[in-house]
Amino acid sequence: MLQLLKRYRELILVVILLLVPLGVFFARSKKPAERSPVDRAVIWLTSPIEKAVAWTVTGVLNGWNHYVALRGAQERAGELSRELNLLRVEKQQLLQERAEVERLHKLLAFTQASPTRTYVGARVVGIQLAPTGLQLLVIDRGEEDGVVRGKPVVTADGVVGRVHGATGHSAEVLVVADRNSSIAVRVDRTRARANVRGMGKPGACKLDFALRSDDVIEGDLLVTSGTDGVFPRGVPVGKVSQLKKAGNGLFLDAMVIPTVDVTRVEEVLVVTSWEATLPDVMLPAATTGKSP
Amino acid sequence: MKPLLHILFALLLSAVQAAVLRWVGGGSFSLMLPAACVVYLAIHAANVEGSVGAAGVGYVLDLTAGTTKGLMTFLAVVAFVLVRAVNAAVDVRGRWGFAALSAATTLLLSVGALVLVRMAAPVEVAPGVRLLPRMLLEAVLTGAASPLVLGGMKRIDGLFRREDPGLLR
Repeated sequence: MLQLLKRYRELILVVILLLVPLGVFFARSKKPAERSPVDRAVIWLTSPIEKAVAWTVTGVLNGWNHYVALRGAQERAGELSRELNLLRVEKQQLLQERAEVERLHKLLAFTQASPTRTYVGARVVGIQLAPTGLQLLVIDRGEEDGVVRGKPVVTADGVVGRVHGATGHSAEVLVVADRNSSIAVRVDRTRARANVRGMGKPGACKLDFALRSDDVIEGDLLVTSGTDGVFPRGVPVGKVSQLKKAGNGLFLDAMVIPTVDVTRVEEVLVVTSWEATLPDVMLPAATTGKSP
Repeated sequence: MKPLLHILFALLLSAVQAAVLRWVGGGSFSLMLPAACVVYLAIHAANVEGSVGAAGVGYVLDLTAGTTKGLMTFLAVVAFVLVRAVNAAVDVRGRWGFAALSAATTLLLSVGALVLVRMAAPVEVAPGVRLLPRMLLEAVLTGAASPLVLGGMKRIDGLFRREDPGLLR
């Protein structure tokens, strides 16, 4: 018997290796799978290997993505940067064009609101705001366009100044803030008369000849009165600020902030002619004006 | 000792396979690299150490595949016996032959598992024949990767090879 076993030991071993697992399988197949401590230990052995492989794969992928795959990224970044710069310039141009269109719309609306006046539109091509000299804007319209000395220059926001001198295709505009500029105005709210005189620097004017007894408060809008024979009536000039009522004297002491910032203005309208009658929106009921 | 190393190698293969499949394909296909170990054992190992090694590899397959214990162990020993029989009839030496045999063994293990589980498990949990295309793909991929396993197993065997005394090379 022992000899028989010895002779067929390999076959017997194989049969055992076949039958035992098969028996185990059929015995356990109806039950939920459970793992013995040995099984868990064997599984645990595989965990570091899986982690190592994951670490290696991640490292390789990271190396690939962050180094190898970035070949040409510099050139691509350069291209994108150039493209971005072009787009920025294009955007800037579009924004400027839009702003210009908006300004022109505003000017157009202004001209349509006062149909009795005729205007010549002009672009500001130069600025001379030297503190020691005259405060001038240079516009690209001149005598050949009907722009002559003394004509008022306005925007939709208000008075810019008046034409100081003109050549064939350009003209100089003496702005409101120049020392030589003096505009007859009324307080829009109370119709009190006064003058706005320039102080020689942009954005700084003085209120002249406003009687102490007049009803003027800070923030009052000053509009042209038309009595100086230069400006049509009702065009905004500025707002009263830093109002002081001295204890004595005939007149009020106040500053005026012009409604038009001449350092930023780009398009202007030269009023070449106007009727005495002004649109209702600008005229108070009791006032009358005269044409130049 | 040698069967233990074979089993440990199968365990290593299972771990690497699991980790690689997690990164490559994300589970859309599978592999059964330890099946190639069974083929190698059937071709190159002696009866005892081969059958023990095959059972051990089957046990590893049971553990890593999460099948009912004993299923893959039994099938691995069956595969060992069958491949040994095939190898007796057809001498398998080259890599291509090994790959083909590995693919066939993988398919045998998968189909065998399918049949046995359908026999033993309740109908509602038994795997269906819809898995056959996936099994075929698994067999083909395992066959394609099996030459790598062949190299590994040869290295393990190389550790136990003794130089014949007096042999001049």
